[in-house]
Amino acid sequence: MTPTDEAKRLETATVEVKAVSRWYGNVVAVNDISFTLGPGITALLGPNGAGKSTVLHMMAGFLRASKGTVRVLGQPAFGNPDIYAKVGLVPEREAVYPFLSGYEFVLTMARLHGLNDPAAAARRAIQTVDMEAFEKRKMGGYSKGMKQRIKMAAGMVHEPSVLLLDEPLNGTDPTQRLLMMELLREMAARGKTIVVSSHILEEVERLADNIVVIVAGRLAASGDFRSIRRLMTDRPYSFTVRSSDNRGLAVALLADASVFGVELNGDRLTVRTSLFSDFVRAAPRVARSADITLRELIPADESLESVFSYLVAPSTSLRTGR
Amino acid sequence: MNTTVFALTLKEMVRQRRLLLAGLAASLAPVGLALIYRAGDFNDSLDWTATTLLEGIIITVVLPLACLLVGTSAMGSEIEDGTAVYLLSKPLPRRDIIFAKAAAAILVSAAFVLPATALAPLLSLDGADGEGLVAGFFVASALGICAYTMVFVLLSVATSRPLIFGLGYVFIWEGVLGDLFTGTRYLSIRQYCLGIADGIAGVSDRIFQAELNGAVSLVMIVAVIAAATILATRALARFELRAED
Repeated sequence: MTPTDEAKRLETATVEVKAVSRWYGNVVAVNDISFTLGPGITALLGPNGAGKSTVLHMMAGFLRASKGTVRVLGQPAFGNPDIYAKVGLVPEREAVYPFLSGYEFVLTMARLHGLNDPAAAARRAIQTVDMEAFEKRKMGGYSKGMKQRIKMAAGMVHEPSVLLLDEPLNGTDPTQRLLMMELLREMAARGKTIVVSSHILEEVERLADNIVVIVAGRLAASGDFRSIRRLMTDRPYSFTVRSSDNRGLAVALLADASVFGVELNGDRLTVRTSLFSDFVRAAPRVARSADITLRELIPADESLESVFSYLVAPSTSLRTGR
Repeated sequence: MNTTVFALTLKEMVRQRRLLLAGLAASLAPVGLALIYRAGDFNDSLDWTATTLLEGIIITVVLPLACLLVGTSAMGSEIEDGTAVYLLSKPLPRRDIIFAKAAAAILVSAAFVLPATALAPLLSLDGADGEGLVAGFFVASALGICAYTMVFVLLSVATSRPLIFGLGYVFIWEGVLGDLFTGTRYLSIRQYCLGIADGIAGVSDRIFQAELNGAVSLVMIVAVIAAATILATRALARFELRAED
């Protein structure tokens, strides 16, 4: 990144997280994280418990950073209610006021924002999330997806420049998900800064321009989706293999360029490879030419957790530029 | 005051059946006891009304407990279920939120306590005002409601267990310690209420006498209300909503 790029990015930065740590008693939830965001959609990605909600809460001014600074639109986020005129928040928790109808809820939020025409703003927001059909129903009777949409309407009723959403795609069905993604993309196109937290990479891959990966309270990687994807796929994989002749297959596989380690363990063979796709193509070919029957080929560590922990492994310096 | 927050808080409280039942019990208990008292022979009615009914039952038990339930639910239940986010993520001065919440809580507590505070002694005194006793305790209760409610609103913003701390305060500080040590009476809302009632009522000292004089009590209770309001506003400004992860 050239100095001019950096300067330009700081100029358009709407959210600045600088050397931020947060601990609860002795437990460190967030450990020395820095990044800046500008307009567009950013996904805060990480496994459950990684600290992404803590980071989002600090951006929303609901948690104080134990160390470092969090600034939103150039102002400190914590203890500064004035920022909410320009910042919207869609919390993860499902709790809503069950005794209010969807319309009353959004109208109440518009009034609390002190908008000039709260009724019109509420109607507009409800229309945007496509909830007009249910706006008169009490929220106590809403489905998870409806609650999610009405919370979204409440969070954007004042047309904020920065919209923070905590796991907004949880519990939505595919149709609602598409609608919500389209809506967020449309807001981003109008120059808004949208931050979405999620623990599912696939969920945000078509949504976010920029991804910030947080694992175990630390910043694991940040960049555009393609570079994160590359970090996640171009990495050593382990496979557990069962075959008619594990020892014979082990010898044969070692000759293949995609394999850099094998381990025999009872009736199981563990193979370490450098590239996922190369190995998956090579294994059947190698087995066939050695006349060995391949019974099972299981990637050993496919959980997102292991993908993420690979990203923070100290031996790899993977922080990419943006 | 923010009327939207006020109306929302009232709506929230009115739909809590447990709270309404407790409020109903709070207002019926003194009236019921006064009726039972009347059924017997009531020669010492002024004495009974002053020390048993007004001081012992209303000021010591009914009033603080009603305020405890209402005051802690005004803000506490929202913090507990997470809906406080919707209120706090607004560009409102935190003072306005506290004012509106407290006003709603004081209104509900007053609706629970004040009718009984007037009605029960009128029943036991057979319609007489007992040399200013009824008026004195009515005013004292109104101020007591404001003070207790503000303290409990403060507890629900500043602590995570407002009901436990509140109960401890009412029973241990106001109840037990107040009787054991004379010094605590200068820091007791109950004593301020009694002092104000005594200051207004013209009843003889033989029948009812408070530990503090009326003027001191009035100054102290206003100071408590002001301090609790300031502290609650500060606590809300620094309020942290713990993330789930």
